[in-house]
Amino acid sequence: MDNNHHHQEESFWRKYIFSVDHKIIGLQYGVTSLLFLLFGFCLMMVMRWQLAYPEEAVPIVGKLLGDGGILLPEIYNSLGAMHGTIMIFLGIVPLAVGAFGNYFVPLQIGAPDMAFPKLNMASYWSYFIGGVIMIASFFSPEGAARSGWTSYPPLADIETGQTMWLIGMVFLITSSLLGSINIITTVVQLRAPGLTWMRLPFFVWSQFITAFLLVMAFPPLEAAAVLQLMDRVVGTSFFLPSGLVVSGEVLNVSGGGSPLLWQHLFWFLAHPEVYVLILPGMGIVAEVLANNSRKPLWGYKSLVYSITFLGFMSFIVWAHHMFITGMGSTMSSFFQTTTMIISIPSIIILSAFFITLWGGSIRFNTPMLFALAFLPMFGIGGLTGLPLGFAAADIHLHDTYYVIAHFHYVVAPGTIFAMFAGIYYWYPKMTGRKMSDLLGKLHFWPSLIFMNGVFMPMFIQGLAGVSRRLWDGGLQYAHASGTLQWNEFMSISAWLLGLAQIPFIINIFYSMKNGEKVDRNPWGSTTLEWVAPSPPLPHVNFDSIPEVHRDPYEYSIPGRKRDFTPQTEPKKG
Amino acid sequence: MAEILHYLGLPINMSVDGPAIDEVIVLTHWLMLVLFVGWGAFFIISLVKFRSSKNANADYDGVKSHISSVLEVVIAVIEIVLLVGFAMPIWASRISDVPEANSGAFHARIIAQQFAWNFHYPGDDGIFGQTSPNLVDEMENPIGLNRSSEGAADDIVTLNQLHIPVNTRIRLDLTSKDVIHSFSLPELRVKQDAIPGMKIPVHFEATMTSEEFLAEMVGTSREGKGLEIACAQLCGLGHYRMRGFLTVHDDEGYQAWLEEEKLYLEENSDDDDWGDDDW
Amino acid sequence: MRIFNSALVIIGLASSSFAGDLTGTVTYDGKAPKKKMLRMDSDPICGAAHKDAVYTESFIVDENGNFANVFVYLKNAKSDSVPSEAAVIDQNGCMYSPHVLGVQAGQELKILNSDQTMHNIHGLPKVNKQFNFGMPKTVKEKTVTFKKPEDVFVVKCDVHPWMKSYVQVFDHPYFAVTGLDGKFTISGIPDGEYEVVAWQEKFGSKRIMTQSVSIGKDTQTLNFTFSRPKKK
Repeated sequence: MDNNHHHQEESFWRKYIFSVDHKIIGLQYGVTSLLFLLFGFCLMMVMRWQLAYPEEAVPIVGKLLGDGGILLPEIYNSLGAMHGTIMIFLGIVPLAVGAFGNYFVPLQIGAPDMAFPKLNMASYWSYFIGGVIMIASFFSPEGAARSGWTSYPPLADIETGQTMWLIGMVFLITSSLLGSINIITTVVQLRAPGLTWMRLPFFVWSQFITAFLLVMAFPPLEAAAVLQLMDRVVGTSFFLPSGLVVSGEVLNVSGGGSPLLWQHLFWFLAHPEVYVLILPGMGIVAEVLANNSRKPLWGYKSLVYSITFLGFMSFIVWAHHMFITGMGSTMSSFFQTTTMIISIPSIIILSAFFITLWGGSIRFNTPMLFALAFLPMFGIGGLTGLPLGFAAADIHLHDTYYVIAHFHYVVAPGTIFAMFAGIYYWYPKMTGRKMSDLLGKLHFWPSLIFMNGVFMPMFIQGLAGVSRRLWDGGLQYAHASGTLQWNEFMSISAWLLGLAQIPFIINIFYSMKNGEKVDRNPWGSTTLEWVAPSPPLPHVNFDSIPEVHRDPYEYSIPGRKRDFTPQTEPKKG
Repeated sequence: MAEILHYLGLPINMSVDGPAIDEVIVLTHWLMLVLFVGWGAFFIISLVKFRSSKNANADYDGVKSHISSVLEVVIAVIEIVLLVGFAMPIWASRISDVPEANSGAFHARIIAQQFAWNFHYPGDDGIFGQTSPNLVDEMENPIGLNRSSEGAADDIVTLNQLHIPVNTRIRLDLTSKDVIHSFSLPELRVKQDAIPGMKIPVHFEATMTSEEFLAEMVGTSREGKGLEIACAQLCGLGHYRMRGFLTVHDDEGYQAWLEEEKLYLEENSDDDDWGDDDW
Repeated sequence: MRIFNSALVIIGLASSSFAGDLTGTVTYDGKAPKKKMLRMDSDPICGAAHKDAVYTESFIVDENGNFANVFVYLKNAKSDSVPSEAAVIDQNGCMYSPHVLGVQAGQELKILNSDQTMHNIHGLPKVNKQFNFGMPKTVKEKTVTFKKPEDVFVVKCDVHPWMKSYVQVFDHPYFAVTGLDGKFTISGIPDGEYEVVAWQEKFGSKRIMTQSVSIGKDTQTLNFTFSRPKKK
């Protein structure tokens, strides 16, 4: 950028806090979102105590709860709503898009920075404020939101705590909009010479499509959040029908609104949001798989077409979340059909990943382990979406633990494993040192086992028809009685999963000082970020703007000495 | 597969419409299983066969055949069959075959509230009395029934107790007083949101009485536990215990229950009108 | 059933003026409305708590016309003292006990749960802050306080819709609720002229009865009679 010869003079604040360097902002996003992920996970670990041992005092944090340490149902609902909100909007999206997107999109396209560095900083600080509001809501007199992360009115209109949630969401959405505009512009405008669309690494494609999803799907939710805020604060009735009687008293509102309007607006965001959560993960997995199987990504073009199609289709499947709201057969047929159609590109992508392995020379380092585990885990998550996509089967499975298991398989051992793969893979680029492989494996294996320990039994409970969001985990209900023994098993798995993250946390700090020092390209990789110094130069990234001559994954070209050929290497070199 | 799913937790099915739903669940799980086993086998073979210690040099091209495209088309076709052959017709019958009022089907209303189910039966005349939010009194008139409106005098209102006859088409019209609830009968494969401001019908037919169900459950973890109504949509702090009770009677049992309710209604009906007297 | 509010102990005899008592009986004249049976089959734990039939408590009158659960209180009294002892409302057998309860502003109200089921106690005051929380069977006690005096409002259970009680918040201790014998006593009232109010839920806010009384050294007696509303 224009001021690159001034950067030594930058103050600490300008350099690390109010930075406009995409790498610093990416790190800010990364650290903040990892802390939020940990916090959201802790909320769940507290909830799992109540599910395993209903109405027994919670150890360790019980004192914070009052009432003899028992997690009351209203607080349980708060933790549930905030777990979802934090994991999705404060954890995974900012980690996948804010951190990985910010840091590696410019590097992978050979750009010196994002197209709008100040917008980038505004995006981070808007996210930060949104996060502060969400955390502060726990300490407000009304407490945190307790209407689920979906915030369905009328409940969300009348339940306490929701106002701060809505204000927080407005900031978070604004942040995502700013960030995604930036990524789109950057990819369109700042690609290095020679980097044509079909030479883009798959990760850049995934970020590019994700940014489009965010920029088009979030505005309806932002509008909806403002409408709900008005329902709560200034007495409108956008989502409140007439004649409501709450707790024996006629609700004094003008009425005439529609609770279903919210659901349409919400899911119009939240289904593309699912793909926002998964696409960057797929992008990372593609990078790691190609690199560690020492082979070009199989079916690169069909992957690009699939992911683009997936992005498009994700806008017209939202109402499959609403089959049992009284939907007619025309609408349900349409949404069932689109849902089945969208499953095809997902299957193509996953199949291409599997096929990439065939004929490779597979290295089992930590990033690769996480990327490999992503495949079957995401497979389970994706496949179990099928019965939910058929309206008839959904009648039995809707709003049960089957749904919880399904989307957690997509997001937890799916996306989060992909994020771990990304962290282990790109850590040397960010720090110049590798993370410890031993600690990495100590992180991976228990995580894989306990992830399944947490989520696999949920399918069983879901098949039995046990509803989600039950404070006692179904203890009241006869139909749950055959599956209750799993609650304790899942909770213990969750706590062990928590312990399994300790090697990772140690590894991050330990390797900063003690990790193996590496050169620019420790993994023998082909894409542009590995041409830059580690860490890349402040504000400019590269020593000189790289020039691109090749496809992104030129591994093991027959007849060459090295098993990788960087994108910058001229064809006749 | 059906046996496996039942073994895993899928409850017994006691509805005429249930087997079709179960069939979609079963077929979809077959598809899932085949795909997962296929992928999994390929995955494990790849990992073992092409580990770097065994295969030092990768093959630039890898898989050359495009059999995967064929397989993907096959999956698409299977999905289309499931969609058009099963899911859509089942849904259509759920939506379109709602029995008309007074068609001989059992007809009642459900008014959900935080945190209980109110059931409104029209009584012998088959006419539901008028209700109004202004008449709601949680203790004495939870659904705000105007007893002096047409057909209201014999209406029966119960709390959390749904009684229906066996082998009869049941139509229930769902609504809610306050927030969204979801009416779920796992053994009858019924689930429908109850949304304030909307009236949504569901219909089903039970194939066994509660007694027969209990007899069936002997020796399982459900022994001695009758049929229940669950709330499937988060509705507030009492969501977890918004549990109703379903009793399926044979015809005599149902008539006996009706008589009992009529007696209760007679004994407890208002003998005076404190509400609209003039002072 | 608690008849007298614990607050009456507090009265300041130290003041220079005399203090007197007010006592009396509230009766009902006319044919009583039919008792309504409460059905608790919607929560088996509630049903199991009662051997005999349970009836609504909104209108309790004996054969002599003695009227229970009537609020009697002085309207224009004032007092700065706030009792340190908490008022108590219990959830027992899925009924509120007492059914009608007076507390003072600033006084603690202890909410007990004697049942083996969860209650969701929801207070619906208009002036004071509403409260709404779950009390699972393991949570035996919670406390709330009302900051400002407020006319009678409903405290109910969102899980057991029939559970309903009436609470009024006073800025003085001169109030009582009639017992099953229809009697009430308010003690230690500083001498002066007062308006005495009698309120019963079935008669609602439009049918409040008011009488004037002059309190001196001795015990004053004041009776109220509610009559059945006549049809036009």
